[in-house]
Amino acid sequence: MSVVIVVLSVLVGGIATVTLWWTVHAWRTPETLAGTRFAEPDRHHELSFSLLLPARHEEGVLAHTVTRMLESTHTEYEIVVIVGHDDPGTSAVAERLARQRPDRVRVVVDHHPVKNKPRALNTALPTCRGQIVGVFDAEDVVHPELLHHVDHAFSTTGADVVQGGVQLINYHSSWYSLRNCLEYFFYFRSRLHLHAEKGFIPLGGNTVFVRTDVLRAAGGWDGDCLAEDCDLGVRLSSRGKKVVVAYDSMIVTREETPDSLGALVKQRTRWNQGFLQVLAKGDWKQLPTVWGRALALYTLSGPFLQAFSGVVTPLGLVLALTFDLPAAVALVTFLPFIPTLATLLFELVGLHDFGVQYGLRIKLRHYVLLAVGAPVYTLVLSYAAVRAVVRHLRGRNDWELTRHIGAHLGDAAVPAAAVVPAVGRAAVVPAPRDSTEVAA
Amino acid sequence: MTATDETVVLRTPAADETAVLTAPAAADTAVLRAPGPDETVVLRTPGPDETVVLRVAQTPAPAVRRPVGERLLLAGLLAVVALVQGWNILDYPQVSDDEGTYLAQGWAVATGNGLAHYTYWYDHPPFAWMQLAALRWIPAALLPGELAVASARFVMLLVAVLSAALLFVLARRHGLRPWTAALAVVLFALSPLAVTMQRQIYLDNFAVLWMLAAFVLARSPQRNLWHHAAAGICAALAVLSKETIAIVLPALLVALWQGSHRSTRKFTLTAFFCTVVPLIALYPLYALLNGELFPGDDHVSLLGALLFQVADRAGTGSFLDPADGAYQLLHSWLYHDPVIVLAGAAAVLVALASRRLRAPAVAGVILIAMALRPGGYLPAMYVIQALPFFALCLAGLAGLAAAWAGGRRRPPLERPWWLRLSPPSRLRLRLGAPAWLSAAVDRVAARPWSRRLAETAVVVLAVAAAAPWWADGHVRAATASANDGYADAVAWIEREIPDRANTRILVDDAIWVDLVEAGFTPGTGVIWFYKADLDPAVTSTLPNGWRDVDWVVTSPIVRQEEGTLPTVDAAVANSVPRAVFGAGDDRIEVRRVTAP
Repeated sequence: MSVVIVVLSVLVGGIATVTLWWTVHAWRTPETLAGTRFAEPDRHHELSFSLLLPARHEEGVLAHTVTRMLESTHTEYEIVVIVGHDDPGTSAVAERLARQRPDRVRVVVDHHPVKNKPRALNTALPTCRGQIVGVFDAEDVVHPELLHHVDHAFSTTGADVVQGGVQLINYHSSWYSLRNCLEYFFYFRSRLHLHAEKGFIPLGGNTVFVRTDVLRAAGGWDGDCLAEDCDLGVRLSSRGKKVVVAYDSMIVTREETPDSLGALVKQRTRWNQGFLQVLAKGDWKQLPTVWGRALALYTLSGPFLQAFSGVVTPLGLVLALTFDLPAAVALVTFLPFIPTLATLLFELVGLHDFGVQYGLRIKLRHYVLLAVGAPVYTLVLSYAAVRAVVRHLRGRNDWELTRHIGAHLGDAAVPAAAVVPAVGRAAVVPAPRDSTEVAA
Repeated sequence: MTATDETVVLRTPAADETAVLTAPAAADTAVLRAPGPDETVVLRTPGPDETVVLRVAQTPAPAVRRPVGERLLLAGLLAVVALVQGWNILDYPQVSDDEGTYLAQGWAVATGNGLAHYTYWYDHPPFAWMQLAALRWIPAALLPGELAVASARFVMLLVAVLSAALLFVLARRHGLRPWTAALAVVLFALSPLAVTMQRQIYLDNFAVLWMLAAFVLARSPQRNLWHHAAAGICAALAVLSKETIAIVLPALLVALWQGSHRSTRKFTLTAFFCTVVPLIALYPLYALLNGELFPGDDHVSLLGALLFQVADRAGTGSFLDPADGAYQLLHSWLYHDPVIVLAGAAAVLVALASRRLRAPAVAGVILIAMALRPGGYLPAMYVIQALPFFALCLAGLAGLAAAWAGGRRRPPLERPWWLRLSPPSRLRLRLGAPAWLSAAVDRVAARPWSRRLAETAVVVLAVAAAAPWWADGHVRAATASANDGYADAVAWIEREIPDRANTRILVDDAIWVDLVEAGFTPGTGVIWFYKADLDPAVTSTLPNGWRDVDWVVTSPIVRQEEGTLPTVDAAVANSVPRAVFGAGDDRIEVRRVTAP
C-alpha cells in the first residue's frame, strides 16, 4: 500500500512540477521575459501576405472582421475569404466585401462534401499569391500593427513559421471563462516559448504565419485531423523548420471563450481527440532532438496525464487521512500539493499581470473565483479527456456526430442558437485553433 | 543593466567633462557595461534634439567566471580558515553537554532509533542533526580513538569552510571588491569567537550555512526565478536546522527584492514563497500526523515545546546587570573577540544607510533587537547567527571607506533623509580644505594605484587593530587541551567497568555516544542524567530510584544542576569517587554508587 502511494505521489508530483515549470518559464529571468516580445520593428516591409479567413455561417461577424483587417498598416497583403458552396449567407457578405476592395479581398469557394477547417484552408492554399500564409478565424479581432511585427520577425530571425499571440479577453463572463482566459495567458505568454526553445511546437489555429513554399512542400493541412494546426506544427518541427513565437499584449488577436460549459467540454474533447490522432500518426517520432520528442510525447498525452492527476491527487489526500500510514509516507502524499498550490499562486499573480497588461480591472472576487474554480475546472478537463478517449476508441472522429449526440442527450447547457457561434469561436489551449466542421 | 555583480555608478559630470550616450544608429547596438576599476560613466540630461534609448538586453547575463587571481585568493583564504579552525579542534574548546546531545540525536537518526536518543520532544527541528548523522561516520572512521563529540567536529569544520566560501561569494554579490570580501571572510571565520563557536557541534552553524546559501541565491546576478525558488529551499532548510534563524527572513526578503528585476519580481517572490512556506510547513505537518502538534496531557507536542521556549523558559536578563545571565554571556563573547561583537554591531547600524548593504544590515539589526528584548532567553550560541552579517557589514563599510579614500568620488553611503539636511553652503565652504590641498588630494586620488593603496591600508589597519585582541584567542585555540578529562574518563570506564551491557551509568551527553559505543545499553544503560528524573520512559526502568544506578559520572554540568534532580542527587550522595580526572571546577569524577 505504502509503495503504491509513494509511487503515485511521485508521479503526480512530477506532472504537477512540469506544469509549474512551463507556467513560469517566461518569467525565469528579466532577459527571458524581454525575449518573449516581438522585437521593435522598423518601418521597412519585405514580405507579402495571404491571409486566409475560413468563414462558415459567419455572416454576422465577417464584415466587421474583414473591415478591421483592412486597417492593417502593412502594404503587401491580400485577404482570402473561404466560404462553403452551401452557405449563401456568408458567401453574399464575402462577395460584397470583394467587390468593395478588389485590390485586397478575394473569395474562394470550398466544394468539399464534408466541410471542415483544414479542408477549407487546403482549398485556398494553391491560390495564395503572398510569400507568407496567415490564418485567422472569422470572429478574430486583429490588431492593425500585427503584420508589420510579423514581417519584422520573419526577416530578422529567418524563421519558417511565426506564431503570434491569441488572448481570450472576456474573463468576467463566467467562472470557467476566467480560468480559460488565464490558460491562454500562460500558454502564449510562457509555455509556447519553452516549446519553441526545445524545438517542438503544436501551432495554434490562428494568428499563425507560414512561408508559403514551406507550407506547400509540407502538403498543406491534414484534412482528416481534428487538430490540424497541432499536426502541422508537429510536421514542420520534425522537418527541422524554425518556428518563432512572439507575444506582445498590445497586438494579440483577441477572441472569446466558448459560450457555455457544454461547449467548452465539446471543444476540449475535440482537441484531445485531435491530440490522440496526432500521437497515433507518429510524425513526432521524427523530431530531431530527444528533448523535442519527449516534449511532443508529453504534450500530446498531456490532457490525459492531467486527467489522471486530477483524479489521483484528491484520492491520495483521502488515503493519507483515512489509512494509518507511517508519518514519512503520509508526508510524501502531500508533496504533489506543493507544485499544485504553487501553480495556483502563480495563476493568481498571473491574473494580476493579465489585468495590468490588458488594462482590465480585476476585482477581489475574480481572484477568489480563480482559486475556488481550480479543482472544478480540473475535473471538467478530466471529464473531457476521458470523453475523448471513449470517442476515439469508438472511432467517432467527426464533429458532426458529436453535436448530434450532444443534442440528443439533451445537453441543455448548450442552447441551440449558441451551437454554431460556439463552435466557430472555439479556440485553443494548448493550441488555439478553430475547426468549423459541419456536415454538408 | 549590469551583467556582473558590479554596480554602475552615475554621477554628475565635473565642469570639464562631457560624455553623451546617444541613440544608436539603426544597425548599432549600444551596450552599457559595468565600468572597469579605473573608468567612470557620466550621463547627462540629453539636449532638446537628442534622445536616449535604453532597452533591456535580450541576452541573458553570462554566468560569472571569477578571474584566476580571485579564485586563488578564495582558495588560499579557505585553506587558512580550514587550518586555523581545524588545528587542535579535538582539544579545544571543551566538549559540552549540548554538543553531545545533538550528536546523540544524530546517532539516533543514523541508527534508525527515531529522531532523538530519548523521546523527541520538538526542542528543535531535526534537520541539523540529520546532516550530522549523514556525515559523522567519516571522521569517526578516520579517528577511531578520539572522543565521539571531538571527532564529529570535523563535520563542523566542513560547515565552517563552506560557510566562509558562501560569505565570500555573497560579499562579491553585494558589490564588495575581492579584498574587502576577503576581509569579511577573515572577520567571519578567523575571529577567535568564530573559531570557538564554529568548531562546536551547534545547530546554528548548520542554519547559518543554509541561510548564507539563501542570501547568495537571492542575489543571483542572473535574477533567475529558479534561483529564488532555490533560495526558498535553502531558507527553509536553515529554519529546519535551527528554528530561531527564521527571524532574519525579513532581511532575506530585502535581498530578494533588491536581487530581482521589476518586470519579474512578482513571480520570483512568489517562487520564493512557494518553496519556503511548504518546506517549513513539513515540520508542523509531521507533528500533526503524529498527533503531536497541540499540547496534551500524555504526550509531547510541537506547540508545547514552542511555548516553553518562548514563554516559560526563564529569561537571561539584561546586558547591563552584572548579575544577569545575559551580561555574563555578552562578556564571554567579548572575552573571545570584542572586535567583531562591538565593531560589528556598530557597523550593522551604520550600514543600514547603504542600499547595497541593507539586506545584511537588516538581518544584523533584527538579531540585535531580538537580543535586547527584555525578559528573553539568550543561548550561548546566539552570536553565531549574527557573525556573518556583522562581518559583511563591517567589511562592506571598510570597502566603502577605502573607495572614498581612494578618490572614487562615490558617496560612501546613499544618504538617508536625515543626512541630507546639510549645513548652508557658505558654512560648508569654510569647513572644507584649502583649494590647493584638495586639488593635490584629487591628483593623487586619480592615480590607479591610489585606490589599491587605500584598500590595502584599510585591510592592514583592520588586521592591525584586531590582532592584539585576537592573539590570545588564537594561541588558546591552537594549544589548549580542554578534553583530557573526558577522554581519560571514557578510557578508564572502558578499562575498569566489566559487563557494560548490564550496567547502569548516569552521565552527561558529552560522552553518551562514547559509552554507547563502549557497549552500554543506549538510553536505559547509559542514562543522560536529566532523563533519570524527567523522562517517564527512563524512570519506569528505575523502580528503586538511585539504588538501581551503578555508576555516576559527575562533570561541571551535572554539579551545576545539583538540587534540581532528586534521583541524580541521591545517586551522587550515595556514591564514592573511584577515579578523578582534572582538578577544580572542571574535574570529572567517575563515582561508584554504594548501597547504604
